[in-house]
Amino acid sequence: MKKIHILTFLAIGCGGAIGTLFRYTINIQTLSLLFPLGTLLENLVGSLLLGFLTGWIVNMKLNEIIKTGLGVGFCGGFTTMSTLAADVYSLFIRPSPFLVTLYIGTSIFGGIALAFLGFILGKHISLYYRNTKKEGEME
Amino acid sequence: MNSLLVMLGGAVGAMLRYALGLILMKRFPHPPIPIAMLFVNIIGSVGLGLFLGVLFSKGVNLDIYEEPLFLLVGLGFFGAFTTFSTFSVESMQLLKDGKTKKACIYVLFSISFSIAFFAIGFWFTSSFL
Repeated sequence: MKKIHILTFLAIGCGGAIGTLFRYTINIQTLSLLFPLGTLLENLVGSLLLGFLTGWIVNMKLNEIIKTGLGVGFCGGFTTMSTLAADVYSLFIRPSPFLVTLYIGTSIFGGIALAFLGFILGKHISLYYRNTKKEGEME
Repeated sequence: MNSLLVMLGGAVGAMLRYALGLILMKRFPHPPIPIAMLFVNIIGSVGLGLFLGVLFSKGVNLDIYEEPLFLLVGLGFFGAFTTFSTFSVESMQLLKDGKTKKACIYVLFSISFSIAFFAIGFWFTSSFL
């Protein structure tokens, strides 16, 4: 039990490191923009991925270590709330109510919608995968 | 070198988020709204605010992405300690289960408290240091 715990933590550490590296790489590509497009994209894509993973495990068993490594580690490290807060603050400072509204609105509604889309996709694809696997086993 | 700093900060941030999440869920097993990540995001946002306030009061203003301490602590640690994907999925699940009011409260609390606590943290260290 204790061994599993350590491996889970290691998986989360690895996933978090890779997710953060991806976030950093995207951020430095979009630094020149006045709008925090990088963080917005990361949060949207990360929501889609975690939604997919959540839908996938409805029908398919996934190893606990892989599951937490991808979900808690990678998706968690790839997306961020603290930078969103900092972005909103700095958009307020440079007064631009339109950009603030656009940023927060797209993050929230886009994030939840993509999480839902990911969930539906994950649920259906895993069901399809499970059924074709079963048929394969029967033959 | 920069990549290693963000990876190190990200790894520690993600592991600490998980550990704190487990502790919070053990202490509050049946919260009305997903309280664990709400707390984590608020704590991480006030932390980033405090940290950036210190950094800016020390004169690091431009080219923050060239500052190793920012990459390790700000982008790496606090970036990965807080999370948006879990927020989206938890909100989506509340909506999916028909708990619209709870979903709205969760979204409103997560976003507004994270921003407000970042601002308080930033204001605190940038004006008192």
